[in-house]
Amino acid sequence: MRLGNRIGASALGIMAALAAGGATAQTLNVQLSSDIRSSRPGVNRDALSDMVALNVAEGLFAVGERGDIVPMLAKSWTVSEDGTTYTFALREGRVFHNGAPVTADLVKQSWEAMLAAPDFNCTGFFDGSRGSAVTGIEAPNAQTVVITLAEPDAMFLKYAAQSQCGGMGVTHPDSFAEDGTWDHPIGTGPFVFADWRRGQNVTLEKFSDYQPLAGEIDGFAGHKEALVETVNLVVTPDRATAVAALRSGDLDVVPYLSTAESAELQEEDGFVVKSAPHGGMITLLMQTEDPVLSSTEMRMAVAKALDVAQLVDVATNGLGTPNASLVPISSLYHSAVHDRGVGYAPGEVPAMLEAAGYDGQELVIQTNRRNPINENVAVLAQAMLQMAGINARIEVLEWATQLDRFRSGSFQMSAFNYSNRADPVLAYSAVVDSKEDRGSSIWDDPRAIELVDETLQTPDGEARQALFDELHELYLEQMPFVMLANNLTVSVNADYVQGYSTWNGFARLWGVSVEK
Amino acid sequence: MTRFVLSRLVSAIPTLFLVSLAVFTLIRLIPGDPVSLMLGDNVDDAAYAAMSHELGLDRPIAVQFLMWLQGAFQGDLGRSITTGEAVLPLVLQRFAITAQLVLVAVALATVLAVPLGMLAAWRQNSAFDLGVVVGATALMSIPTFWMGLMLLLLFGLNLGWLPVLGYVSPFDDFGAGALYLVMPVAALVLHECGILVRMSRASTLDVLRLDYVTHARAKGLTEGQVLRRHVFRNAFGPTWTLLGLILGNLLGGVAVVETVFTIPGLGRLIVESIYGRDYPVLQGCLLFVAFTYVVVNLIVDLCYPLFDPRVKTT
Repeated sequence: MRLGNRIGASALGIMAALAAGGATAQTLNVQLSSDIRSSRPGVNRDALSDMVALNVAEGLFAVGERGDIVPMLAKSWTVSEDGTTYTFALREGRVFHNGAPVTADLVKQSWEAMLAAPDFNCTGFFDGSRGSAVTGIEAPNAQTVVITLAEPDAMFLKYAAQSQCGGMGVTHPDSFAEDGTWDHPIGTGPFVFADWRRGQNVTLEKFSDYQPLAGEIDGFAGHKEALVETVNLVVTPDRATAVAALRSGDLDVVPYLSTAESAELQEEDGFVVKSAPHGGMITLLMQTEDPVLSSTEMRMAVAKALDVAQLVDVATNGLGTPNASLVPISSLYHSAVHDRGVGYAPGEVPAMLEAAGYDGQELVIQTNRRNPINENVAVLAQAMLQMAGINARIEVLEWATQLDRFRSGSFQMSAFNYSNRADPVLAYSAVVDSKEDRGSSIWDDPRAIELVDETLQTPDGEARQALFDELHELYLEQMPFVMLANNLTVSVNADYVQGYSTWNGFARLWGVSVEK
Repeated sequence: MTRFVLSRLVSAIPTLFLVSLAVFTLIRLIPGDPVSLMLGDNVDDAAYAAMSHELGLDRPIAVQFLMWLQGAFQGDLGRSITTGEAVLPLVLQRFAITAQLVLVAVALATVLAVPLGMLAAWRQNSAFDLGVVVGATALMSIPTFWMGLMLLLLFGLNLGWLPVLGYVSPFDDFGAGALYLVMPVAALVLHECGILVRMSRASTLDVLRLDYVTHARAKGLTEGQVLRRHVFRNAFGPTWTLLGLILGNLLGGVAVVETVFTIPGLGRLIVESIYGRDYPVLQGCLLFVAFTYVVVNLIVDLCYPLFDPRVKTT
């Protein structure tokens, strides 16, 4: 091609690209704040990788809207009387993205491959170290899968449905390359994993043979119908760029926005800001082995010096709801008992400080700037504590450093957020443990440990409710840390996007349409 | 010439060794590690120990360094802890993207800034000179991220002429690729122009004061001939050195510009690997950056005699 022609062709290309402008109505452009780590469900994952996996692959069952376990690829299941054998009946007519029918054999292969993966994130839940060991997976016929456990485990389904385990999403064996390495997920979800340009974008395409279940969207289950042809997940690390792209129409959805930025966008026409609390926790941790904070009176004084309602309101730009309990407000188990907190009582603080022998020692609150809520909590808590006569100082750390200190328990106080937990008992087990066994444990009271162990083995029902209630009463007595609110996800989408919501911290891309 | 090049490359080996040793040690001195980040708040001590072992991070640091060094000598810079990708191809792929951006930007900046600086010096103390100096100082003073954001808001958001985010390789689609590069290249050109104009002007002023320039004018040469034949070649030397430094610096990654314009280049990879404590990727990137710096400056030195015959490469 002559030079002149080349220049002409390039100019035409540029003009065509200019004319094309933004996306067509059949494409949903969603921000990814960083690239995904891998495309394999539950393996080498983080929250964004989980989000992609949950839109592509489906498990036998999934987490429902209220944290309950509901059927997905399995239409039903039974549990043997001794609680060790789970028999799943598969739905008829389900197919993988490559057209292969979903059979019990393929489900068995998928589970076995996941459990055998050396970097599977949830090995501990299924090898007997944290949950009961899976001792066998059988496929007696094409529509039946039988999973056997070494001992009964009331949490088995909940562990398996966790996003960090990829919801034990079933993938076809052709997801692996010929040399046995992972290639890309061939699942059964409403979206096909079409392309991944590392550092740039992930493209999902509508799975045309998908058969949505009847009814409404129900958590990660229910009616999962893809309404757009393509989802373009664009890696956009800079928040200012993401917001500019949203305004220009290059992005349609920003799934995770800071509360401050969302406040600005709430005032503008053309955007819909949604705040969705989930099972994560916004906390102010206290090191109970610290010479100052080892006293219950001292910790109680800290708790009573905090006006939690105001703190949560300001820290979350009015989007958060205070919650004194580790049981999320949306949970079935959030009874009236869990509405009780220690209460804001600055008048009682001086007497408590005296009883604790507090003599003006400095308390350092660790925080980070990666999560603006943590920083806001630290700043507000410092001010409130100082007003109550407690000498508090803030130490701002880089996130990895704060996380390292959290892991080893090297802090006095820490403005810290826990990620989403699929069940309230998992929230308790994140904080309750012996400090000798786990450096990151916050609450190592023997009775609390006993109660959490018991709750883990108790199936849903009244007995479980009673255990959660007792745990909360014990927490209020000992105040090992201050639970402020459930963590929340703030998302924003253009007003021409219909049906979008970030649920439980994850972008649900089904049921979303673009009507430009 | 060949001997000179070889000796320069060989003398770079201790430099690269020291760089790799420093990077290896320093990154491990920063609190926080990849295992903590991967496990997040789900961490328990057993899982931490198991993953550390899996990644080989529980071995003594000296052993880890020697193993990495052994691999590096064989061209294997290891695998990313985060994504499992082989580091060397990853670094080369990202470098190719950064190189497109930087080479175009530096070439444009040079073409614009050097003549502008020379003309400003030639017209010293005129309104034109004052305008160039003020403009160059302003461009130098504006941080590239702010410049980038302003370009993005003006041409991407308000005027809607250019795409706000995304990246298309010009090798896949030249038209679209060029379009996506306009704003990041402009941000870099504007910033580097400021520096180059100042240098070009200053060195031209020095040369214009020399006797041989007066002599050339006395011979009856036109001002254009004086500037082209006698001033440019002698005044360009310092600017050429600066260009080498700028190029080496920018090729090592323009993290801010790459982040603002969502370009998956080397700079963004370095930043991501620092935040993710992805030791192998960070070590690989910085070793490569150091090597690039050595090579770029070697090329600059080799080109020097073209502008100043007094400099010899032997």
